[in-house]
Amino acid sequence: MKLRYLLSLSIVTLMATQLCLAGSIKGKVTPGKSVVWVEAAPGAKPVAVDKHVIMDQKGLLFQPHVLVVQTGTTVDFLNSDKVAHNVFWPSISGDKKKSHNLGTWPTGQKKGFKFEEPGVVSLLCNVHPEMSGYIVVVPTPMFAETAADGEYTIANVPDGQYTVTAWHEGKKLQSQKVTVSGTATANFTLQ
Amino acid sequence: MKIRITAFLVVLLLAAFFPAGAHAIPAFSRMYQTSCTTCHLDFPKLNDFGKAFKDAGFKFPSDDETFIKVPPVMLGAAAQKEQFPRTVWPGVIPGMPPIGFRMNTFFQTTSRNRGNFDTLTPPGTVNPFIPRTDFSTGLFSIFTAGNFGSDIAFWVDDDISVAGENAAGGLGDGYLKFVNVGRLMKMPKDSLSLRVGRFELDLPFTQARTHNLSSYDIYDQANIGATNPAFAAQHNVNNVFTMADAANGIEFSGGHQYGGYHYSIAVVNQNTSGVSQADNESPFVPSSAGFAADSNFKDLYARLSYRFNLESDATSRNSVQAAGSTGPRDHTYLNLGSYYFYGRSVQRFSGQNLLGDPVVLTAREPFYRVGGDFSFNYRTFNLYGLFMFGHDNNLLPVDSAGFPVPLPISGVPSPTVGFIHSGPATFTGGFMQADYLVYPWMMAIMRWDAVNSGPDRLNGLAANLDTPFVLPFHQTRNRFTPGVQFLIHANIKAAFEYQIRPQQYVTIINNPITGLPAATQPFRTNTAVVSLDFVY
Repeated sequence: MKLRYLLSLSIVTLMATQLCLAGSIKGKVTPGKSVVWVEAAPGAKPVAVDKHVIMDQKGLLFQPHVLVVQTGTTVDFLNSDKVAHNVFWPSISGDKKKSHNLGTWPTGQKKGFKFEEPGVVSLLCNVHPEMSGYIVVVPTPMFAETAADGEYTIANVPDGQYTVTAWHEGKKLQSQKVTVSGTATANFTLQ
Repeated sequence: MKIRITAFLVVLLLAAFFPAGAHAIPAFSRMYQTSCTTCHLDFPKLNDFGKAFKDAGFKFPSDDETFIKVPPVMLGAAAQKEQFPRTVWPGVIPGMPPIGFRMNTFFQTTSRNRGNFDTLTPPGTVNPFIPRTDFSTGLFSIFTAGNFGSDIAFWVDDDISVAGENAAGGLGDGYLKFVNVGRLMKMPKDSLSLRVGRFELDLPFTQARTHNLSSYDIYDQANIGATNPAFAAQHNVNNVFTMADAANGIEFSGGHQYGGYHYSIAVVNQNTSGVSQADNESPFVPSSAGFAADSNFKDLYARLSYRFNLESDATSRNSVQAAGSTGPRDHTYLNLGSYYFYGRSVQRFSGQNLLGDPVVLTAREPFYRVGGDFSFNYRTFNLYGLFMFGHDNNLLPVDSAGFPVPLPISGVPSPTVGFIHSGPATFTGGFMQADYLVYPWMMAIMRWDAVNSGPDRLNGLAANLDTPFVLPFHQTRNRFTPGVQFLIHANIKAAFEYQIRPQQYVTIINNPITGLPAATQPFRTNTAVVSLDFVY
């Protein structure tokens, strides 16, 4: 009984220690509704995950308009409309060599694409040029989508030095160095 | 004569310079919040989806309500249907006024020989001056279209200003279309729709909404019979009807424009004299609007076509758009069609009966226009063409002794007591056009128009300015029209067209062998036109 008590106490102590080390990054991005993420350490490989998420085409819209995924994620592009659609991206983060056209598929069916590298993917449909969507592929599990007013919190960030990047549709990417020791603040004004 | 020649010169130049009307529908862009290119290749030319949208009554072919971003206004809850006939059947109106506007403006350059026609007027006559280069305004038109629910579609367009400077325009099309009314009789889907009002006939290739700057010559061809006394051929035919004319009437149609069969049968007013509705009125039978027809007879128009979509994959072949490897696109297809128009041209003359008493004599001359058409599309290349044969029966006036009355009939009352059948007035012609979409924003065009009319040629030799095309050097009038069009944005277009017009003449000699008039020294008065066109 005494041994079990000591063991429980040790586990609780360890968890408390871990919580103290895992801080957070808070801040505000102007103008509003943006994506903020922690970059991988220089030289380190992006942290990949193996999961599937849906990007829908419905009502002549990409839904959601902005999808944030971690590297390694497979995005399944679904056509929920009763009209033909297409999905292509002319570049990833401005690199035109990474352009890709997924083609056409019928209503109700989907086509997957695995995003292996981080970057901002601008989605387009070549029959409905007004349709626009974004996939932000981030290299770590430490990311957040801001609220409408731009406020955000990235939780579970171990103490240390990081590069934090913010993105907003139509604005230039902006990065800044952040030192996390418990909590840190990083505000962005994107141009 | 001087006035007629002056009018002719003005009409000639206007016809050459000012293009046919055309519309894209920004109202739909607003309602569905989608680009013009969803329905148009190079506005107003429709792509396959645009054809399906139009066939469906200006709606998305499936699940239309899920695409509308501006909800319609309910004119009665749907549940009111259960109360019918104790309530008005519920409908809807678009959530915003579905109105669009179009404006265009031109820059044009005309051949140096444009002044050759001045020699037709007596020395000293001050003719209209045709500038070598000119900036001119085109049209400003308003149009509205949409759907009232229950598959009732509507369309109205009106040229508020035509040819600039506050010129009076006129109603283009204005109709209601009851889509898929065949469902009420348990007929197959889309096999029967009904259109009522004023509309362009279901022509193989539209002229009212063409993307070309100039209209198709064959669609503008009236049939005015030969009246040149120097030649044996004489026609008492004065039919100003052209296929480009808007028709007032009713049309039954079915099938689809984007695949499979399509048909239409229209019963429309006859007006072969060209009298306008505003002028066609009687002081004894009041009508605030005038009368649109000039006879009791109703003309008949019928069209049948079949489009073979050529994709090997059945799913793709039967879809509204083909499934291309990089995205949906227009089908590779071959469309074959035919059409037939039948009417009875009516002419009324002041004449005499056999007793010599003045009477009104009526010549009812059956006429028809018949032809075929094709359209072949491969990816972004579209080759299409049309052939037409026009035929008007010819009732020559005769006097009481049975001798022909010289044409044109003159004198009140004329000595005419009746008519006898003679050789018909005919013409043939058509066009062939190739459109190549070099980029989604750039279309290259090459077109050949040809009209073969013996009567026009004979009348031209007599300088008869009432014929559809005056002073043609050859019996066949060929026109070549290369062009290119650029979409600056989806709703703004710059277009260029070079019209290599048919040969004409102003010098006539007597052929020393036949003794008949013959034209010499042909020339072409060519025109280069640049237009800027926008809709919003």
